[in-house]
Amino acid sequence: MTEYVKFLVYRYRPEDGKKGVYADYDVPVKKGMTVLDGLIYIKENLDPTLSVRFSCRMAICGSCGMRVNGLEMLACHTQILGLRRKHIIVEPMRNFPLLRDLVTDMTPLFMKQKALKTWLIRRDELEQENPTIQYLQSEEELGKYLQFTYCIQCGLCYSACPVVSTFPAFLGPQSLMKVYRYFADSRDEVGRERVSFVDKFEGVWRCHFAGSCSAVCPKGVDPALAIQLLRREALK
Amino acid sequence: MLMHYLSGLGILLFGAVHIFTIFFTYPFQATIWETTLKFDSIPFAILPVYRNALLAASLFGLLLCTTVHAMNGLRTVIAELVGFRNKWVDRILIAVGVFLTVYGLRTILIAHLLV
Amino acid sequence: MLSQREGRTKVLQSLRVMLVPGRYGLERWSFVLQRISGVAVSLYFIAHILETGNFVGGITVWTVPEYSFAEAAHQKSVELLKNPVFDVGLAVIGFLVALHTFNGLRLILTHFGFLVGKPGRPEPFEQPASLNARQRALFWLSISLAVFALLYTLDALMGVFRV
Repeated sequence: MTEYVKFLVYRYRPEDGKKGVYADYDVPVKKGMTVLDGLIYIKENLDPTLSVRFSCRMAICGSCGMRVNGLEMLACHTQILGLRRKHIIVEPMRNFPLLRDLVTDMTPLFMKQKALKTWLIRRDELEQENPTIQYLQSEEELGKYLQFTYCIQCGLCYSACPVVSTFPAFLGPQSLMKVYRYFADSRDEVGRERVSFVDKFEGVWRCHFAGSCSAVCPKGVDPALAIQLLRREALK
Repeated sequence: MLMHYLSGLGILLFGAVHIFTIFFTYPFQATIWETTLKFDSIPFAILPVYRNALLAASLFGLLLCTTVHAMNGLRTVIAELVGFRNKWVDRILIAVGVFLTVYGLRTILIAHLLV
Repeated sequence: MLSQREGRTKVLQSLRVMLVPGRYGLERWSFVLQRISGVAVSLYFIAHILETGNFVGGITVWTVPEYSFAEAAHQKSVELLKNPVFDVGLAVIGFLVALHTFNGLRLILTHFGFLVGKPGRPEPFEQPASLNARQRALFWLSISLAVFALLYTLDALMGVFRV
């Protein structure tokens, strides 16, 4: 007999000018099916108007971040039967402007990252544009930042962070983690100036180590660790 | 933020003295209403503590550190509650902090000098 | 600028985030408890400074008064404060002070980058390094010490554990 799970999906249509509501759908589930598969089933068979963003379906692209039963998850990385619930509440991420249903506008995340210059910078402009040599690193140098390169910019940490929720100007776990990632990279030449980017009220000092970012990160990036290491640098 | 850590550690130091003189001088013998909260009759009652210059100075240290720590903490909580910083909130908190320090210092001095 | 109604909604939302730990785990509980205890102890501190001021005669007294006047003022304050409701309230404050202190010490250590582990190569579904067993142990130690403070304060104020 096919097992059914009830999906309660947050539906929001900006053109209606009303608050969002939860629509419920019965979805047949079999072993191995992810929450994203469930949402695609709803879109194909029950309600084609459901808006959901996804791409790779294998936790690489970071498009399908959402809140499942009150916790931020990648829909494609979450097994329905693994949740062990008869009801699954699917909501969009918090702390981002909501566009429609489960689709949020990721601009705040990308803008904050951009403002912090989270890319490798060489002092020599010619070298920056047209590198002439290879920049070799030891295993040890790589180990200092490798973990933080696993970030797929899904925004789950940004959504889970209690400080971003209450104080929107906070740079957020993802951006601060990125700053540490480049600060710790031996090829980068900005050095301690990177710390000065985040040594301000909206920066590293607003982190209170609630750990929610690391708790929800689907790639094990541990932004909370990066922020504490960055703060240690700021305290030096 | 460094100020928050330092004042916190200051509270730990001076607060330990304060807690010791109130709660740990007559452990498991009688309630503090019958011992350390008496006015002047026994050692470590209220006035003997204030009369000791070192203990009175430590109380002032505690007052100062707690005021800084509390007002800075409230500033953070208020900014994060409303979602932005406001200079008037800072000013009011500074005024409250100055009042508490002055009023507390007055209490300490009066109790220290009372004969 | 937010309208009054939007502002109220914003504050209520912030309060919900600050007071409801959700399913994010122990560190989020620590965040919520640290915040509640901080605000509660700050308010207690203000009340405590005003109340100890009454022990020497209140806000109108700015010179050293007569000994008998201060003694009478102290007696009056004690009579007002010595009741079971205040005693239990003070014991709860004792709990919050101890919790905020010991959890705060742990947080200072983490803020300076101690006890949070080192960057590594994360395995799928592995516990993040920063939320490690040492952190959990220290959090539970803070809770245990706070419970001890609660019981000790109750005993010191009301003699509840005495025969």
